Amino acid sequence: MDHILSWTVFVPAIGALLCLFAPKRKIRGVAVITTVVALLLSLTLFKTFLGNGHDPSSVFGQRYGTLHHVERAPWIEVPGKFTIEYFLGIDGLGFPLFVLTTFVSFLACLASWNFDHWKNNKGERAYYILFLLLETGMLGVFVSLDFFLFYIFWEVMLLPMYFLIGVWGGPRKEYAAIKFFLFTLAGSVLMLVALVAMYFYSATAIEQAGGLVASVYRHGVNITHGTFDLIELATNPAIQASFASKTTLFLGYPIAPIMFMFLFIGFAIKLPSVPVHTWLPDAHVEAPTPISMILAGVLLKMGGYGFLRVCYPIFPEGGKYWAFTLATVGVVSILYGALCAMAQSDFKKLVAYSSVSHMGYVLLGIAVMTDTGFQGAMFQMIAHGVSSPMCFFLVGVIYDRAHHREINRFGGLWLTMPRYGTLATIGFFASLGLPGMCGFIGELWVLIGTFQAGAKYTWAYPMAILAASGVILTAGYILWLIRRVYLGKEREEYADYSDADPRETLILIPMAALCIAMGVLPMQTVFNYTNGTLNQVLAHVTGGQ
Amino acid sequence: MNSWSSFPIGEHLFLFSPMIALIATMLVIVGAPLVAGRGSRTIAGVAVMGIAAGLVLSIRVAMHVGRGTSGFSLQPAAGLLIVDSVSAAFQIILFLFLAAVTYLWWIGSVETESNAPEFFILLLGSAFGMALMVSSTNLLGIVVAIETASLPSYALVGFDKRDRVAAEASLKYMIFGAVSAAIMLYGASLLYGLVGSLSVVDLAHYSITKFADGPPLLLIVGLLCFMAGIAFKISAVPMHFWCPDAFEGAKIEVTTWLSVVSKAAGLILLARLVSIFSGIIDSPRAMSILGPLAWALGLMAAVTCTVGNFAAYKQVSVKRMLAYSSIAHAGYMMMAATAFLHPATNQYATPASALLIYIVIYLFMNLGAFGVTAMIVWHEGNDRIDSFTGLIRRAPWLAVPMVICLVSLVGLPPLAGFLGKWWILLVLGSTGTPLAWILITVLAINTLISLYFYMRLVVVMTLRDDGRPEVKCPIGGVALVNACAAMLLIMFFFAQPMRAAADRYANSFYSTSSAKITQGDAPASTSIQSLSVSDSDDTLFPIYVQRIPPTQEHR
Repeated sequence: MDHILSWTVFVPAIGALLCLFAPKRKIRGVAVITTVVALLLSLTLFKTFLGNGHDPSSVFGQRYGTLHHVERAPWIEVPGKFTIEYFLGIDGLGFPLFVLTTFVSFLACLASWNFDHWKNNKGERAYYILFLLLETGMLGVFVSLDFFLFYIFWEVMLLPMYFLIGVWGGPRKEYAAIKFFLFTLAGSVLMLVALVAMYFYSATAIEQAGGLVASVYRHGVNITHGTFDLIELATNPAIQASFASKTTLFLGYPIAPIMFMFLFIGFAIKLPSVPVHTWLPDAHVEAPTPISMILAGVLLKMGGYGFLRVCYPIFPEGGKYWAFTLATVGVVSILYGALCAMAQSDFKKLVAYSSVSHMGYVLLGIAVMTDTGFQGAMFQMIAHGVSSPMCFFLVGVIYDRAHHREINRFGGLWLTMPRYGTLATIGFFASLGLPGMCGFIGELWVLIGTFQAGAKYTWAYPMAILAASGVILTAGYILWLIRRVYLGKEREEYADYSDADPRETLILIPMAALCIAMGVLPMQTVFNYTNGTLNQVLAHVTGGQ
Repeated sequence: MNSWSSFPIGEHLFLFSPMIALIATMLVIVGAPLVAGRGSRTIAGVAVMGIAAGLVLSIRVAMHVGRGTSGFSLQPAAGLLIVDSVSAAFQIILFLFLAAVTYLWWIGSVETESNAPEFFILLLGSAFGMALMVSSTNLLGIVVAIETASLPSYALVGFDKRDRVAAEASLKYMIFGAVSAAIMLYGASLLYGLVGSLSVVDLAHYSITKFADGPPLLLIVGLLCFMAGIAFKISAVPMHFWCPDAFEGAKIEVTTWLSVVSKAAGLILLARLVSIFSGIIDSPRAMSILGPLAWALGLMAAVTCTVGNFAAYKQVSVKRMLAYSSIAHAGYMMMAATAFLHPATNQYATPASALLIYIVIYLFMNLGAFGVTAMIVWHEGNDRIDSFTGLIRRAPWLAVPMVICLVSLVGLPPLAGFLGKWWILLVLGSTGTPLAWILITVLAINTLISLYFYMRLVVVMTLRDDGRPEVKCPIGGVALVNACAAMLLIMFFFAQPMRAAADRYANSFYSTSSAKITQGDAPASTSIQSLSVSDSDDTLFPIYVQRIPPTQEHR
């Protein structure tokens, strides 16, 4: 048992503690070093996923539940009845998002380097402490496999995020911050109900199966009572049979659809999908640039991760039951988000709505339950996790100079700031889904997956067509944006703007490079690390069909 | 173990020694002014000594009873009072909190207070009433205990006689208390008329055995009337109207006092009654009485927390807001009590253990929040929400613990407030009844509702600033609230030992295991027969001691 995951998760927390005591001028340095350490630690995980050559079975095992770097210890237990574990582990679902988190956090930390707030001495120490605590929460979510622990980390993020938006945000920060908080907590309380229900229903299932069931994914372990172990809940035959049964009732309704919906709403708020997305434009617009990067780059991915880790493996019947609804919500998100983005005159709000649209692909890809769809959804999450922080940072760069975000007041920025303009084009084209860039692969895979799903669901064809037309809308608003902001004649009021400085370029280049690399080498950058686990999840969900 | 406690009379004295310490302290404070004058410091010193003695004694009693070191426990059967591990644990909490309130009083009022002897007599008197409340198992005893706790509280609320608001609050509180006591007595008389006994144990038993066609409506009515008095004490809806007024009008030390232990005592009393009633659960017709009782309690709990949280929205006075918050929390804790009425409760988390944990956590949350409010009141002269504006700049060492306490009151991890809710959720979930799942959902949604008004205060403290001057606050008070906030963090991470300790105390909660009344027409224990009303008067209110062989005791 090694402790690489624990170290990575808690290094930011330690960093936060150091920030508490560091001398005033050193705080920024401590924070950046902390995020670098976390990034390097997470990069060492590549060894696990690369070291075994190209044989996926040695990394991903034969079935869902092959984990690496497992750490588990009982945390709260009533002997013989009840155990909450400190249970960390990583597989193809968590790994890319884990690395993405440390990566985006590092860049966001750099992006906070010269806030205007620091000049008037406003709470630098508090900012970095909250920032690092937020990172710990995010990292914890992606590696904790005990649902209770998952829930704790999930909630730990709320408060730092609330203050980061509320204290250092824009003019409507109070409204945006409390809206973010209320929406997310609304999702979490439903998740809390599901958390309790899953425990007691699994306990009943085990009891009915004779009080002792051998664990499938762990050799030589017998399950004698209910469990919070997400993998056990998904793989234990007795629990799964009970969850899938239509006679297991929760307040008079079959458990799988109900619990799936409770969890889905919780994750969909985070994703966000359309009826519950309204917190996102407010939060993104009011949040300071680095926090927007984190929000778009990491927090939204937790929704998609939650679907793949909790909803589908544990309640596959629920997934089948709600497939049409979910796919519809996904398609509506794509189209509605794109149309909203097109109507925006605020630069940052446009990028925010484009996130709604892009995350709609994730939902659609997952909802249709095909291998290409799942892989596309995962890829789309990673791709969006790189491209959208880049877009937000690009907005931030120009906002720092112009102090406004009115798209129609810009123009000809490429001429004024050639380096910035070039990088901006890369970022927005990646977001657009230009072939050869990261956004393309994810969207294409999702669309192919949806067409494939036509074999089992006839409604999948029209969905695929509608979703494909979303690509056109995306191209529409992005190209129009680029024309209005970057092309055209050079404007006098912006003529003396300096080009991206070395720090800004340093932040943009890794993201730009990844945008292209992922578009050109999708296998080597993402699919190789995720497909094994994703296919196992899918085989489990569809019963191997 | 203790040589002097091996005699029955010594045992009695020993088990009731914390209460005796309270009475003795009151008597000394009555006499002290004759000898040492009415100086606040002198009187407080006497009180502190009494509290310290009571604390030591209550810990000894708890060790004696709770861990069963000598293998005996008091059985109430049809008796008047019971000392078990939960009442002992409550007494420890009571004395600790008494010390905290005295400390708060010392910081805030020791210079200005001219009526210290009266204040402490009232304070200790209500504490004595609360200690009685958690030990009563007799209808009349319960009424007397509640009145003993309430009467000094009325006077405490209106203690500053020049303050018109306080006087009004006190009057409201008293009228409410009087009415609910009347309803309670009426309920008690109905019950006595129906079953012919004042003992709750008899009542539970006879409610099944006496009526062949199921319990009559009058019995349910009597029970509900009797519950009204307890509902008043824990300020459950619809008996909650006194709470915001009394909390707002009273001095902040008194508000702090009323907000925690007074409710905790009522809740433990409620839990004890419900738990005794659950003793009949194996009887064939038990659900005809336990079912309505569970739904009535559950409904009351759900309404209480929802009303409390919604009413807190618009409050301008922080004390009033925290009053509604305490109503909501009483609702959460009542939910745990409903779980007693189901056979499966001992499996995962006993309701009593969840209740104890919640009370301890709630104590720290409220002490912290009220402590900060107290210091703002002393500095600004009022408790309006505006007075907290920009507190993060004006007094970071008040603002940060306040945020922690408020977030913990919402119930977000990683703070202890979450654990309190978590154990209640588990207790409910373990019963698995539809009522339980409804309550779980209600509790979860209420967390969300409560977020908004707690965060309103957080917003004012951290996000707004109107350039008010810095707050000068006593260092002792700052230490107190920061210690509370730190405890909330520590308790979260030490959930396991806390849970284990609470289980130890809760396991011998009377009647969950020790005195289950079995089915059949004849009362199971001879003690019930021997103590029925046909006996002579002197056994009507006996303090009944019965030895249990050590093997029945856990561990």
